[in-house]
Amino acid sequence: MHSVTGVDPHLDIETYDPSADLMVLNLGPQHPSTHGVFRVKLYLDGEIIIKAVPYAGYLHRGVEKLCEELTFVQIIPIVDKNDYVSPMMNEQAIAMACEAMLGIEVPPRALYLRTIFAELQRLASHLLWLGTFGMDLGGALGGGATLFMYCFRERETILGLFEEVTGCRFHYNTHAVGGNRHDITPKFSCDTKTTLEVIEKRLEEYVQIFSSNRIYRARTQGIGVLDGDLANSLGITGPLARASGVDHDLRRDAPYHIYGELDVKVFTESAGDCFARTLVRLNEMYESIRIVREIIDSVPEGPILGMKPGKSPGHIKIDASQGYSCIESPRGELGTYIIGGGKSRGASAYRLKIRSPSLHAASCIPYLFPGHTVSDAVAILGTLDPIMGEVDR
Amino acid sequence: MAVDESQRTYEHPLYQHVERMPGVSVALGSIDQLLTWGSANSLWIFPMATSCCGIEFMAAAASGVDLDRMGSIPRGTPRQCDVMVVAGTITVKMAPRVKKLWEQMPEPKWCVAMGSCAISGDFYRDIYSVIPGIDTFVPVDVYVPGCPPNPEALMHGLLLLQEKIRMVREGTLTREEVRPESPPNLNRPAIGRLQDPERDPLTDEEQTDSAAGLGFGDNLNLAQIRRPRPEPELRPQVDAEPRPQVDAEPRPQVDAELRPQVDAEPQPEVDADEESAP
Repeated sequence: MHSVTGVDPHLDIETYDPSADLMVLNLGPQHPSTHGVFRVKLYLDGEIIIKAVPYAGYLHRGVEKLCEELTFVQIIPIVDKNDYVSPMMNEQAIAMACEAMLGIEVPPRALYLRTIFAELQRLASHLLWLGTFGMDLGGALGGGATLFMYCFRERETILGLFEEVTGCRFHYNTHAVGGNRHDITPKFSCDTKTTLEVIEKRLEEYVQIFSSNRIYRARTQGIGVLDGDLANSLGITGPLARASGVDHDLRRDAPYHIYGELDVKVFTESAGDCFARTLVRLNEMYESIRIVREIIDSVPEGPILGMKPGKSPGHIKIDASQGYSCIESPRGELGTYIIGGGKSRGASAYRLKIRSPSLHAASCIPYLFPGHTVSDAVAILGTLDPIMGEVDR
Repeated sequence: MAVDESQRTYEHPLYQHVERMPGVSVALGSIDQLLTWGSANSLWIFPMATSCCGIEFMAAAASGVDLDRMGSIPRGTPRQCDVMVVAGTITVKMAPRVKKLWEQMPEPKWCVAMGSCAISGDFYRDIYSVIPGIDTFVPVDVYVPGCPPNPEALMHGLLLLQEKIRMVREGTLTREEVRPESPPNLNRPAIGRLQDPERDPLTDEEQTDSAAGLGFGDNLNLAQIRRPRPEPELRPQVDAEPRPQVDAEPRPQVDAELRPQVDAEPQPEVDADEESAP
């Protein structure tokens, strides 16, 4: 283990190493453990990283620009593809921003549905992170792809629930401005409860793997320590910040949906290393299961779409007003800021800005990598869990 | 049509002697079948996974569908692989890398375009930074449509690829040896960046003008956004030539026909206001 104190992220490599003796290693853009197309340029002294420079933009799809060309109804299936591991969250963020701009009230049944979908999606997203993280660490968690196979088995059951409601495994397009499109059935409630029981039982097995594996502990404890102040100054939120002692969760601090009526427990750790991030995410998975169980039986009857459907898009008149919404996505605070286009643009936005948590998570790489080995860098990148669709947009 | 056997050419002079030996052709045929069976059932996959489809590719490789059953193992390096599965949007920044990785794969190699982004660019097609389909620079054998395709759809695509490999080796299907040349501006965006000297100055003007028409008033300082143009003399010359020619002939006719329609358009909007007001 190497000390990370005193590392300068803005190290000038030409004055530090004028004779260019350091080895330069490009991690990515095509690398199985970068979770997408992401490139980190590493300057190595032996196996120790001296400086790390991240490069983004390999998946820049111009989503914000594209959304300015389309109407609000057409935006929703497009922002699905930003954070492609948790599409429900993107839909909810954009729908809430439009509702804030237009002043539309969402019926209570839709709010319950949104909360259930959000927590199930958080569970699925963390399961995918757990599986890929187990694969990143190689033999530390029972060898190769073992944990990956287990976690995808559970994730498939949750996707099956979503498929039953919306018809899609992915990119659901189930949220609309003013409510939801697809209603749940009594069968969905039954299936959800049995699924959660199975998942909870299997999560305990995974926690045992984590707590009893000495190799795993050696590879994560004390690795990639993120200071709480640094996390705040870089704008890092979500499980990363909570693992560094920042007690902040929008579900409790600025409640949306029906989180105000629920008592959401927020788990924090003080260590700030890879192990702490793992523990926070595992606890969040249990908390998501608890929340879904608490509200799945108390969904009120009623309509799920508040706004009357318009005759044609041209009939909607939107002033040059603005709306902002922020929700707690599995990766942190996902904000959406939207400005209505006024008369000349009809029902499409003048500007859409997405504040994605992954971009901020990726921004701490120059601070965390130096002083560690290359194999530790892979473990750190795995726990940061940046999604490239969200970083580049 | 009779084939003149004497004109037949061989890759190696030894082959013609081998072929005339009794019984050898039977053995060679069996070996060929063995090779076909082997190459169709050991498709190692190089996952060129960039975005959402990569997650569904992972789901296909995981326990639900389990591509390992048909001998398809995802590998992390192009040097060991037979099939490149392009899963996700390919941008202008990523395309040269994809091309390079494709060239690093040993022959015989195959390519599967997974998802509508890889096939055609989907709704990102017109965006300045997105390649409209990977078949503009890499030959594609199987297209798997969907956004993203289900794991089962990917499996179906790979089964089709196996069938194609068998047919090509048996000679019942000739594989079109299309090696598309990559476009010269592969790693350049369609609309030039602000500092790009070749950027059309008209683009600047259009963008600032469209921002000005939004009613933001004095909040938007256009003088700050408009960059100084180094060569103002060039533009009037370019504009002066084509404009009068276009204006001279069709203008009067078009105006006369379109005027009533143009006037009629705002009226439904006014009606809509009146309906929604009460």
